[in-house]
This record gives sequence, C-alpha cells and structure tokens, in this order.
Amino acid sequence: MTLAEFIATAMIALRRNVLRSVLTTLGIIIGVGSVIVMSAIGTGASKQIEAQIASLGTNQLTIFPGSMNVGGRQGGAGSAPPLTEKDLRAIRENVTGLVAAAGNMNGSATVVVGNTNWQTQINGSSAEIQAVRDWPLTSGRFYDAVEAAAGRKVAVLGATVARELYGEADPVGTNVRLNNVPFEVIGVLSVKGQAGGRDQDDVIIVPLATARSRLVGRVRVPDEIGQILVKVDDRYEVSEVQADLERVLRQRRRVAPNAMDNFSVRNFAEFLATRDATARTLSLLLASAAAISLIVGGIGIMNIMLVSVTERTREIGLRMAIGASGSDILGQFLTEAVLLCLAGGFIGLTLGAGVSILISTLFGWPVYISPAVVLMAIFASASVGVIFGFVPARRASQLNPIEALRYE
Amino acid sequence: MSQAEPQTPVPVVAARNLCKTYQLGEQQVHALRDVSFEIHRGEFVAIMGPSGSGKSTLMNMIGALDVPTSGQLAIDGTDIGSLSRDELAALRNHTIGFVFQQFNLLARTSALDNVKLPLTYSRPRVADPEAIARRCLEQVGLGARMDHVPSQLSGGQQQRVAIARALVNSPSLILADEPTGALDSATSLEILQLFESLNAQGMTIIMVTHELDVAAHARRLLRVRDGKLVEDAPVNSPPAEVAA
Repeated sequence: MTLAEFIATAMIALRRNVLRSVLTTLGIIIGVGSVIVMSAIGTGASKQIEAQIASLGTNQLTIFPGSMNVGGRQGGAGSAPPLTEKDLRAIRENVTGLVAAAGNMNGSATVVVGNTNWQTQINGSSAEIQAVRDWPLTSGRFYDAVEAAAGRKVAVLGATVARELYGEADPVGTNVRLNNVPFEVIGVLSVKGQAGGRDQDDVIIVPLATARSRLVGRVRVPDEIGQILVKVDDRYEVSEVQADLERVLRQRRRVAPNAMDNFSVRNFAEFLATRDATARTLSLLLASAAAISLIVGGIGIMNIMLVSVTERTREIGLRMAIGASGSDILGQFLTEAVLLCLAGGFIGLTLGAGVSILISTLFGWPVYISPAVVLMAIFASASVGVIFGFVPARRASQLNPIEALRYE
Repeated sequence: MSQAEPQTPVPVVAARNLCKTYQLGEQQVHALRDVSFEIHRGEFVAIMGPSGSGKSTLMNMIGALDVPTSGQLAIDGTDIGSLSRDELAALRNHTIGFVFQQFNLLARTSALDNVKLPLTYSRPRVADPEAIARRCLEQVGLGARMDHVPSQLSGGQQQRVAIARALVNSPSLILADEPTGALDSATSLEILQLFESLNAQGMTIIMVTHELDVAAHARRLLRVRDGKLVEDAPVNSPPAEVAA
C-alpha cells in the first residue's frame, strides 16, 4: 500500500466513529494545548524581562536610602537618614570607574497643556541622568548642570506624555503647567518601552532642585535626594565598583564598622536576570507537567486501538486473505494511531494558541508561541502515535488469517 | 517457479500425500491424512464433506492460508510449504480469488472500493485499478451499482461484489467457501449460474459446500471424510435427489 492509501484507509476507519475518535484524542488535545499555553506564557514573560534588561543596561546601579532587604525589616524605608547632595558629591569625587552619577527624586503631577491634561510621573533629576540612563532625545535638548543647579523651570517630556498631549506636533518651545507651575518644554525623549510592568515613557524629567522646591511635597532635609543612579564604566568590574561605592557611602554616612548599611545598592538588571531564570524554570516545570498528559493521552490511544483491532478482526482476516502482508496491516493501524495523535496535536495547538491569546488580552500578560515549540508539539504527538500505536498495530499484523476470518 | 514437465501443463492445485496434524493439548488431531489430487486449469470442482471431515483444513491450504504438516501442496507450481507469511500473502494476492459465505465486504465502503481492495496490496502495482474494478463489476452484472455501499445491496448483490473482488486480480483459481450458505435458494441459483458462466469462460473454480444440490453445479466432486479423500468423481448432471 502507498502512504496515500494508508491515509485514505485510516481516514475511513476514523470517520466511522467520529465521537470515539475525538474522545480518544482528548488526552493529546489537552496535553499539547497545555504545553503550548505554558510555554507561551513562560516565553512571553522571559522575553519581556529580557527586553527590560536590555533597556536598563546591566551596568547601572541604583542607591536607595535604608536597607530594602527582606531580612532587614528593621531598616525599612524612612527609618534610615535620606540620601543627600553631599552623598552624591562624595560618590562623584571618591568612587572610581563611574561614567556618571545622578540624583533623582520621584513625584507625580498633573500636566496641563491648553485644555488637555494628563497625570504622569515626574522625575526630578540631575543633568547627568541622561548619561546614566543612556537616553537619547528625538527633539530639542536636555538641560545642563548650570540650568539644573539654578532650578530652572524646564521640562523634558517622555514619548508617551508628548504623544498624549501634543499628538504629532513638536512640543519643544511650548509651555506646560505641572501642578499649576509653568515649565518650558526643551526636549522630547526617545521611546524606551515597558519595564517592571510600567511604561518608562510616561514621565517628565525636570531639574532635581526645581522638583524639590516646586513639585515634591515634603523633604526631610533641604538637599534630600530620593535615589542616586550611577553608570559603571565598561572597563571596570561592576561588583568592584559597587564595593567601592558602599565603602565611600559607609564612610560618608558614618556607619559604625559592625552596623548594617543605612542604604542599599541594587543592580536592577541582575535582579531581573534572576527573575528571568526563575520564570524559565517555572515554565519548563509546568510544560513538563503538561507533557505527562501526553503520555496519559498515548495510553488512551493504545487502549482504543486495541479495542479497534479486536472489533475489526474479521476485516483484518479478510485483508490478509486477499493479500495484505504483515507490514500492510501494521502500517494501516500505525497510520490510524499517528493520524489520531496528529489531529489531536493540531486541535491542541489551535486551542492552546487561542487560550494564550485570550490570556494575553484578558490579563495583559505577554505571550509568545515560538515556532520551535509548535514543531516540537507536532513531533511529540506523532511520536506518541507511533509509540503507543505500535503494540496494537503489531498485534493486528500477527493475527492468524484463518482464525481472524472465523472470528465472532 | 514452475517446474513444468514438458508434456502436461502445470496443475493449478497439486496435492501430494498431504497431511495436517494439530496438537490439541495432549492429543494429536489428524485433520488430513495422505490426501493426493490435482486440479487443472478450467475445472469446476466441489469439495464436500461433513463438518470435522478436514474439508476446511483442505480449503485453507488450497487458499494458501495454511501450510501442510507433511506432504506437498503446489499452487500454480509453487510449493506453499516453503513460503513465509508474507510470501503466502503475495501468492494469495496474485493467484487466488476468495469468495466467503458471509461475503466479508468492508462496511461503509462502496462496491467499487471493495472490489479495488486486492489491487491495493498488489506488487508490482497495477496501472489503472479503477478501470479493472469497473470491468469486474460489469462482469458480475453490477455495473449500475458501483457506488452503493454493502448495506444498500441485497445479499445476492453483495455476493456478486465479493465475486467481482475475487476476479479483480485475474487469479488462477476462485476459492469459494459455502458461497450460497447465506442466500435463499433463488439467489443461490443465480450465484451458482454466475460461477458456471465464469467457468465456461475458462476460470478455475473450487467450491466448498456441504449441500449436494449446490455441488451438483460443479463438474467434479471431491469428497472428504475423516481427513481422507474418499471420492474423486465427475458430477453426473443433473443431480439426483440422493441425500439431504
């Protein structure tokens, strides 16, 4: 028999009992479907994290006041003295291997342009922030250190803010009101994308001194800084620079030799990389759990194929009498099992893709179905068909034609 | 394959000292003992015998479904005793057309596809199986019902489809096992007449039956009893109302 004839014969046999065929493949459908969904979510999450790492850069460190370690609850935010301009200056003067260091303070404000308004995050930052965050402009310019020190009311808009308030028009040169204080727009930042579930472009950057006096409510000391961001020179080892940074800050902030740091230094990219690894492991684990149902599905296929061989003993006897060889019969039943599994695989693939898209639209999770996983799912279902179809098919091919013809 | 002696043509079936023994637990059952006969091209032979006579065993061997314990059985000059399972299957495919009591058609499969079935197992492949199958169905008088599935056909029509299937590979012999056993007497007669006309066209037919009036349509009768060939005689037509 040719492959086409095997397939045609198998299709006739499978169509003879559609409900049974569908129920038989249910295990495969569920197995393939859940593998697809699990890997789509896992790969999606990990791709998103990787994009965030790329947008953050791996050699950027952030310094917070107080310990934010889980184990260091007694050193929670607020209890430690705040970071100040003096800390920033000490870092700039004493830590080697830095490209730039910038102070930053976060707040939020309502931006008004004409009669449009928009609620957004305000970053009060040193002029060096652009170098630290590696963030080019699409239009206009960034403020310099002199303007920053003078507390000028200038603003650089994130791409999202510019789009929401100005559409296609160029905001540079116009005025915006931040919490009713007029600011001159001098630049627009390029798109940076999502990070940590937040739109990084939904932001307005203004000089730190301006933000401190005009936009952020309470400051505990006059020269308070929320966080210090530094960028490590590529030629230096990030961990060594971090150690140096910690030493300088301990000295500057007068931390006793045995006491815990009253600040914390974080490498967000490394943190995200750990999360990426965790996400990968978890999705791999879930996908392998789902793969087990493929095996269960395969056992279901084997069971039904054995029933089918018994039911069709006379047919097998007839086929043998009119000249079917053992391999003809083996091929016929193996084709049936493989077709069943492949059909289940394709249905599972479609369902899995549908559920993934549904999850992505309902919960806003990033999903990604990789072609490799699709190929693997098809290959796996075909293999299940071959492996679990073999025993029934072999039993059919070894029937004695005389007894098979006389069966029933 | 054929080691024909120069003068006589190769017999379609040649049995020499044919024996078949089954092991049933401790007991040895001699289903056939020392049976010898020859069937030549163009013959119409009926094999008769009560149940347990060894008739079925003999039929299975003529059909190349079984091999002898000792002795020889050659079909078309090929000794089946030395053949493997797959070689036997190929031999059946090329030289034997089976007709069964229960027709054994594939359900939900058209008459045409049923008739084509043996050709799908043929090696080498035949060129146009569809055309051959159509010709065979026309030959048995079912040219108008090729697309009907078995459940849409009467018993007699189903058996005609089965006969067309037996003819499709141009076999050396047709082996019919109680071909009228599931049919009423009028239909039986039609089927037997079909066999007679096929035989008249030169087809070798071997028919196993336990009914004498069925056997009477053949031209030669082999009687088997207790595993032995007890009678080998031409049939005197018309049949007498001897036995029931």
